[in-house]
Amino acid sequence: MNALAARGIAKSFGGRKALDGVTFAIDYGELVGLIGPNGSGKTTLLNILSGHLVPDAGEILLDGKPMHGMTPVRAAHSGILRMFQLTRVFRRMSALDNLVTAGCALGLEFGAAQARARELVEELRLEHVATLDAGNLSGGQQKLLEFGCCFMVPPKIALLDEPFAAVHPTMKEIMAEFIRRRHAAGQTVLVVSHDMPVIVELCRSAICMNAGVVLAAGETREVLANHQVIEAYLGGEAA
Amino acid sequence: MPGQRVLNIDLFVNGLIMGSFYALMAIGLTLIFGLLRIVNFAHGEFYMIGAYAYTLAALKLGLSVWLGLPVAFAVGGIVGWLTERTLMRPLYAGYASWGLMKDEYAVVVTFALSLLLINLVDKVIGPYAVRGPGLVDIPRIALGPVMLTGHKLIATIVAFAMIIATALFIRYSLWGRQIRAVAQNRLGASLAGIDATKTSSIIFTLSGALAALSGALLAPIINTTPDVGSFPAIKSYVIVVLGGMGSIPGSIVASLLLGVLESFGAVYISYDYRDAFGLAILILVLLLRPQGLFGEKGREV
Amino acid sequence: MTRSSQQRLRDELVASLALMAAVAAVPLAVTNDYWLGVLIVSMYFVFLAGGWNLLAGYAGQFSLAPATFAMLGAYGTGLLAYHWQVPAWASIPAGILAAALIGMTLGRIVMRLRGPYLALTTLSFAEIMRIVIGNSYDFTRGDLGLSVPALTNNRLVWYYVFVATVVLMQLALYALLRSRAGLYLMAIRDDEIGAASRGINTAFWKTAAFTLSTALAGLAGVLYAHFSSLVSPELGLILQTGLVICMVFIGGIASLVGPVFGAFLVYLASEALREAGGVQLIVFALLVILIARFFREGLWGLARRLLERPAP
Ligand SMILES: Nc1ncnc2c1ncn2[C@@H]1O[C@H](COP(=O)(O)OP(=O)(O)OP(=O)(O)O)[C@@H](O)[C@H]1O
Ligand SMILES: [Mg+2]
Repeated sequence: MNALAARGIAKSFGGRKALDGVTFAIDYGELVGLIGPNGSGKTTLLNILSGHLVPDAGEILLDGKPMHGMTPVRAAHSGILRMFQLTRVFRRMSALDNLVTAGCALGLEFGAAQARARELVEELRLEHVATLDAGNLSGGQQKLLEFGCCFMVPPKIALLDEPFAAVHPTMKEIMAEFIRRRHAAGQTVLVVSHDMPVIVELCRSAICMNAGVVLAAGETREVLANHQVIEAYLGGEAA
Repeated sequence: MPGQRVLNIDLFVNGLIMGSFYALMAIGLTLIFGLLRIVNFAHGEFYMIGAYAYTLAALKLGLSVWLGLPVAFAVGGIVGWLTERTLMRPLYAGYASWGLMKDEYAVVVTFALSLLLINLVDKVIGPYAVRGPGLVDIPRIALGPVMLTGHKLIATIVAFAMIIATALFIRYSLWGRQIRAVAQNRLGASLAGIDATKTSSIIFTLSGALAALSGALLAPIINTTPDVGSFPAIKSYVIVVLGGMGSIPGSIVASLLLGVLESFGAVYISYDYRDAFGLAILILVLLLRPQGLFGEKGREV
Repeated sequence: MTRSSQQRLRDELVASLALMAAVAAVPLAVTNDYWLGVLIVSMYFVFLAGGWNLLAGYAGQFSLAPATFAMLGAYGTGLLAYHWQVPAWASIPAGILAAALIGMTLGRIVMRLRGPYLALTTLSFAEIMRIVIGNSYDFTRGDLGLSVPALTNNRLVWYYVFVATVVLMQLALYALLRSRAGLYLMAIRDDEIGAASRGINTAFWKTAAFTLSTALAGLAGVLYAHFSSLVSPELGLILQTGLVICMVFIGGIASLVGPVFGAFLVYLASEALREAGGVQLIVFALLVILIARFFREGLWGLARRLLERPAP
């Protein structure tokens, strides 16, 4: 049984196929990289997995059970938490309150949420900005904060959409280290990134998409050596 | 029944006439909505200012009524331009750093501007109603079975001429093409070297001028008071929504339709509730066609 | 909520209670019925401003109908008494309930609308309600207004009823905002999609905010109806909503004390300025524009910044 699996997911936007039958599976405790050229459908796939978009066809299985009528709220409560490509934080609330909110929303008691938020703030090196409004944090700090919000209550699976994009190398390392540690403790993660070195270093397995289909999935090294994958990247923009 | 038919024709023609004034009013609001995705709640006050400018130019300054129209047009344009300069700029210039969100800012600021203009005029000119002189002094013209005052006929012709001129301007002039480019894609247009801020400035100026002209044309028909702008403003909201949120041809059709519907509704359904019809339609359209309004929703994620 | 934001909320509560204590002491010095009446009407606006601030300031839903729900509450109790001789102890809660139920329904209907769309829909709703009430002569007596039984003619009794109810409202709002509900509302205000993906049931909380806010407006309406013993469609004028927005912005939006302070300031100033030539609305509108443009936290925000000078 897989933690999360998708079967034949399809989605079109006004006749244009963004996803054309995507099938994959992620095992418990796996840390999987999702790669693919720009416009290959990675974000669209994540939007469907997290209930933000309704697929035209196909189904999603969580713990082997099909999920129907998924909404973002239901996804979150069943343990699918995500980070957005364009950072989403609650701009007029303090960084700490952002974390506490995320914790309470998933059922933590107030006190427990506060304690947990403080731990995360420390682990993510946000202590010095914890009481500032999130909107006043730097772009990288906001990414870290949003990242932290996904782990207030350890999710069944975390979907991270380009967490490392345009982030200072130090913060990138903080996040990578955080992911490594959680992964070692059994956390399941799907991480989208264009940063190949990080993917190679972090993820044992990877999925490569192009033009709305899965080109290759398996061991990261093998995926990257796949000639279709190389072609997709050399071919530049996806058609 | 011949009497019935004459009445119906009369209602239809008068509906079209009101619709033409509504269109003149609503085009500006439509343009602003199309460009900035905000509703200007002070739009009715542009109308009110035009009505006063026309009436006072004729009665107090003794200008010819034919000069009164361009005066109103110019005054409205200036007010529109000033509004953009002083209040709208933060919406697109360096506004990300703002605590207040864009939509909230636009609602509150234009709402307050409306309050400000109404009370300023109330204080400076006075709360009593004034009525402008007609463009011509012909009490009755028979157009087939329909009786009109000379002013109404000429004002309608002017209104239609201005609507057509505006539509041509947007369609064919360089500025007009820039406006449409910015409305479609603000970022793309600015990358192509179009000055989006200047475009917004033109839009607000034009919007103020057209609404003011509409006020001037109606000043001899509807008594002008400081709060006279609320009725045409509400019509304009209805029209912008009915007309497809930002489409000029759509809003012209919607204006004429609304004019005719109200004209018949007031006689055949209920005079007292006539103002409520349009509003009820507005709510229904907003609720039943949200996908049309939120076409970009998925993109936000 | 973190210590600092809890502290801030507590400061705001304390400030508003201090203000209400001062208001409660006024009758010791002022016995003039006229000015007591002015203060009572100010407190009517405190409810409206407090309710609208909950909805707009904390939950981010810019409704343009707060005054409408005061009108609905007032007509709720008024019509029950007028047509069916329902006693006040039943018609008052019924009026509040009616406003809240209509508010809840409206909240559910406008659930998917945002920004300008929400503003337009609520504005249209407000106008329709006013037109309908103003023209249904047979049922509401239309523009003539409806007389409502005055429960007492003692100004002082009314004065303290209003003071006590405002204090209760502040305590209730404080309890609400410092609980997780406060966090959820602000999260929805700042980013609705983000809030949903963290697991916050946005539909439920938005409806709750609408319901509570309109219940407060209804409360204002029923109290006012029995105090003034006359209700009219003018209660629901857009101008009244404009005043409420002015009060919240001038006092300080998204704070517990700002709307209370703003309501007293604006209403008292408008009474004073009316005598000095009726320029009150010009001043308020200008102030709102300046505040929205340059310091959105209003006068309370300004005061707090001065008080919060870093301690040595
Ligand atoms: N809401 C939408 N409406 C229309 N088209 C969309 C929408 N969302 C995505 N698309 C299109 O679907 C395709 C896949 O987009 P998607 O954002 O999923 O790609 P991606 O792999 O995440 O790309 P990137 O690496 O640039 O983030 C693109 O062609 C995009 O233009
Ligand atoms: Mg993407």
